[in-house]
Amino acid sequence: METRALSRRMRVPRPRAIVRAVFSTDHPAIARQYFFLSLAAVVFGVLLSLLMRFHVVHPTAQVGWFERLWPVKAIGGVMTPELYLSLLTLHGTVMIFFVLTLAPVNAFGNLVLPAQLGAEGFAFPRLNMASFWITLLSFGILIASFTAAEGGPLAGWTAYPPLSAVGAISGPGEGLGQTLWFVSIALFCAASLLTSINFIATIVDMRAPGMMLMRMPLTCWTWFVTAILMLLSFPVLMAAVILILSDRLGGSSFFVPAGLLVGDLDIPHSGGSPLLWQHLFWFFGHPEVYIAILPGMGIVSAVLSNFSRKPVFSYRGMVYASVSIAFLGLVVWGHHMFTSGINPYSAIAFSVLSMSIGVPSAVKTFNWIATAWGGTFELTTAMLFALGFVSVFVTGGLSGLFLGQPTIDAYFHDTYFVVAHFHLIMGIAALFGIFAATFYWFPLLFSGRMLNETLGKAHFYLTFVFAYATFFPMHFAGFAGNPRRYADFTSFDFLQPLLPLHRWITHSAYVLAAVQLIFFWNLFWSIRRGRQASENPWRATTLEWSRRRGIVVRGPYEYRQKGGERDYIMQDEPDAGATV
Amino acid sequence: MAGALTQSNIGGPPPDIPNFPAGGGGGEDRDRPYRGGSRQASITGIIVLMCASTMTFISFVSAMVVRRGLNTDWRHFQLPHILWWNTGILIVSSIVIDCARRVLVRNRRRLFNWLWSFGAVLGLAFLAGQILAWTQLEARGLYVGKGPASAFFYVLTWSHAVHVIGALLPVLYIEFRALRWELGPGRRTLVVVSAIFWHFLDVIWLGIMGLFVFWA
Repeated sequence: METRALSRRMRVPRPRAIVRAVFSTDHPAIARQYFFLSLAAVVFGVLLSLLMRFHVVHPTAQVGWFERLWPVKAIGGVMTPELYLSLLTLHGTVMIFFVLTLAPVNAFGNLVLPAQLGAEGFAFPRLNMASFWITLLSFGILIASFTAAEGGPLAGWTAYPPLSAVGAISGPGEGLGQTLWFVSIALFCAASLLTSINFIATIVDMRAPGMMLMRMPLTCWTWFVTAILMLLSFPVLMAAVILILSDRLGGSSFFVPAGLLVGDLDIPHSGGSPLLWQHLFWFFGHPEVYIAILPGMGIVSAVLSNFSRKPVFSYRGMVYASVSIAFLGLVVWGHHMFTSGINPYSAIAFSVLSMSIGVPSAVKTFNWIATAWGGTFELTTAMLFALGFVSVFVTGGLSGLFLGQPTIDAYFHDTYFVVAHFHLIMGIAALFGIFAATFYWFPLLFSGRMLNETLGKAHFYLTFVFAYATFFPMHFAGFAGNPRRYADFTSFDFLQPLLPLHRWITHSAYVLAAVQLIFFWNLFWSIRRGRQASENPWRATTLEWSRRRGIVVRGPYEYRQKGGERDYIMQDEPDAGATV
Repeated sequence: MAGALTQSNIGGPPPDIPNFPAGGGGGEDRDRPYRGGSRQASITGIIVLMCASTMTFISFVSAMVVRRGLNTDWRHFQLPHILWWNTGILIVSSIVIDCARRVLVRNRRRLFNWLWSFGAVLGLAFLAGQILAWTQLEARGLYVGKGPASAFFYVLTWSHAVHVIGALLPVLYIEFRALRWELGPGRRTLVVVSAIFWHFLDVIWLGIMGLFVFWA
C-alpha cells in the first residue's frame, strides 16, 4: 500500500489582475471578447463591400489612396480586377467566418448557454479561452494575408483550385497571400472544434437538475445542433486545407490536373482533380451556412415567444425541425456543384434532398407565425428584428428552392440571383438574429444596461427598408444573366441596361452602411450610459434571467399564465403558481 | 399553448434529486475559482474530439479513394520495415498505458509511475520511428511530390503524428505530476481521458497501415 505522502503543491504566484482579465476563463468575458471581434470584423467586411460596390459603378475611377494601400493592384489609383477579386475574397471570408459564425455561436452562446442550462459554467473554461485566442490569431493572419506584399488572395472564399493551388503564378496575391489565407482558415477550424467540444460536453453533462433535454430553451437546442454541425464539418475543411497546402508547398497534385497552362507556362502537376476540392469544401460549406442561421432561429423563437407573451407553438416540432435541418444540411452539398460536371443522377439526389429542407424550414416558419398569432405584442426592438428575420428568411429561402433545381440552376449559377439569395439569408436574416440577440441580452452582456429603444427602432426600420432595397434588386440582375464576381460590366453590351440597377444597389448600400452608425452610436453610448435594467427586464421565463439556481420544474416558455400576479412563470420557480 | 399537456409534463416528473447545494455564482470566484466540468464531461469531451479527428481522417481516405480512381498514375510502394516495429511499439504502449490507468484506480501509484513512464517512452519511440520511416522513404526518392500514393502516405502519417504529439503533451504533463505524487484514484480524469485518446490513435494507425498494406 502506498504510504508516501502527497508532496506540497508547487506554489505558483497568481497572475496579475490585468492578465487574468485579458486571458479570462469567465464565459461572459469571453463572450464580450468574441462580440467585439465580430464587431471589428463586420466593420472591415462592410468597408470592403462598399469599395466593391463603388468599383462596380465607377470602374475607371482614380482614387489616390488606392495606390498607397495597394501599390501592385491599384496602379495609378485605379482598382484592377485583381484587387476587386481580393476585396471580394476577404469580404466573403470575414463575413462568413468572423461575423456569422462567431457572433451567433461563440459570442451569444458563450454569454448565455451555461446560464440557460442552469450550469455554473462551461465544461472546459480554459479550452474556451484558448479557442478565442486562436480565433484572434486566425483573424490577425487573415488581415496579414490581405496586406501581404502583392495583396490578398483572389480566389474567393471558396478558394477553388487550380487558381488557389498553383501559387503566385496564377495572380498577384496568390503566393504568400493565399498561403496565409489557408493558414488562417486552418486555425479557425481548430478554434471552432474547441468551441464545439465545449458546447456539446456542457449541454450533455452539465445541465441543472430537472433540465431534461425537452425542457431546454430552443436557443440551447439550436446551439447543440450547430455544435454538432461544426464538429462534423470543420474537420473536413481542415483536411482539405492540409491537402491544398501540400499542393502549394509540397509539390503534390491532389487538386491540380495535368496539362494545366497558366499563360504560356506548363504547370508541373498531374493527376489531381479540382472537383475533389469542391466536394470537400462544400461538405463543410453547406453546413457552415446552417451554422450561421440556426442559432438565429433559436433566438427568434425565444424572442417571439417572450414578446407575444405566448409559449412557442409546438416546441417539440421546433426541436425536430432544427435537428432535421441540421441533418439534411450535411447531405446536400452537391447543390453548389450542379454546373461543375457532376453526375446528373447525383444532382437529382442532391436536388431532392435540398428541396426537402424546405419542409422543416416551413415548419419553423409557420410555428413562428403561430407563436405570434393572437399574442399580446410588445414591439420592442428585439421583437422587431425577430419579425424581420421571419420576413427575410422567407424571401431569401424561397430563392433557394429555385436554385436547388439543377435545370434552373444551370441558368442562375454564378449570377446575381445567387448573390441575392445568400445576402438575404445570411446578410440580412442571420444579421437580424444577431441584432435581436444583442438587444435582448444586452443587460447580460454589459453590466445590466439596456440599449436605447428609440434608436433601436429607428435602426431597425431604416435597416429593413434599405437592406431589401439593396439586395432584392439583385434577383432581377440575376434574371438578366448578370454574372457574379465580375469587376467590370462596361465591356459587355448585354449588361449595359443593368447599370442603372447597379447604381441603385450601390447607393442603397451606402445608405444601409450609414444607417448602421445608429446602432454603433446606440451600442457604445449604452455600454456606459444605458438605462439600468431590472433583474428580468423582459419578464422572461428562461434561466439566464433567474438568480435562484434552483431545480428546473417546467419547460422554457410558460407564458400566458392566468390568475396570478404575473403572466409568466420561470423554469425554476418552485411555486406552481397560476396555471392556464 | 393551452390545455393540460404543457411543456412541464412532456418529459415526465423530475428525477429524484440529491441534496443539491445552492449558490455558487457563474464565472470566477476569488475563493473558489470555477474549474469546469466533471469527469463525465471530460469523457464526453474526448469522445467528441475523437469524432472530429475521425472526420478528418475519413476526409483524407475519401480523397484517397477518389484520387486513386481518377488516374493511372497511382504507384504502389513498399512500406519501410520500421513501420511494422512502430506499429508494435504503439500497440504495446496502448496496453501499458491502459494497465497504468487501471492500477491508478487501485491507488498503486508507484507501479502507475513505472508503467506510465514506460508508456511515454514508447510513445516518444514511436515518433522517432516515424521520423526514421520518412527519412528512409525520402532516401528512396519517395517524397510528397513524387506521386499520389506517397503524397497520401505523408499526409496521413503526418496528420497522425501531429495527433500523437498532441496526445503526448498531456502524457508528459501527467508524468510530471505523477512523479510529484500528485495523482491518485480521485485525481485521474486526465489519465483516463489521455488513455482513451491514445487508444483511439492506435486504432487510427492500424487503419492507416491496413489501408496501405491491403489497398493502396
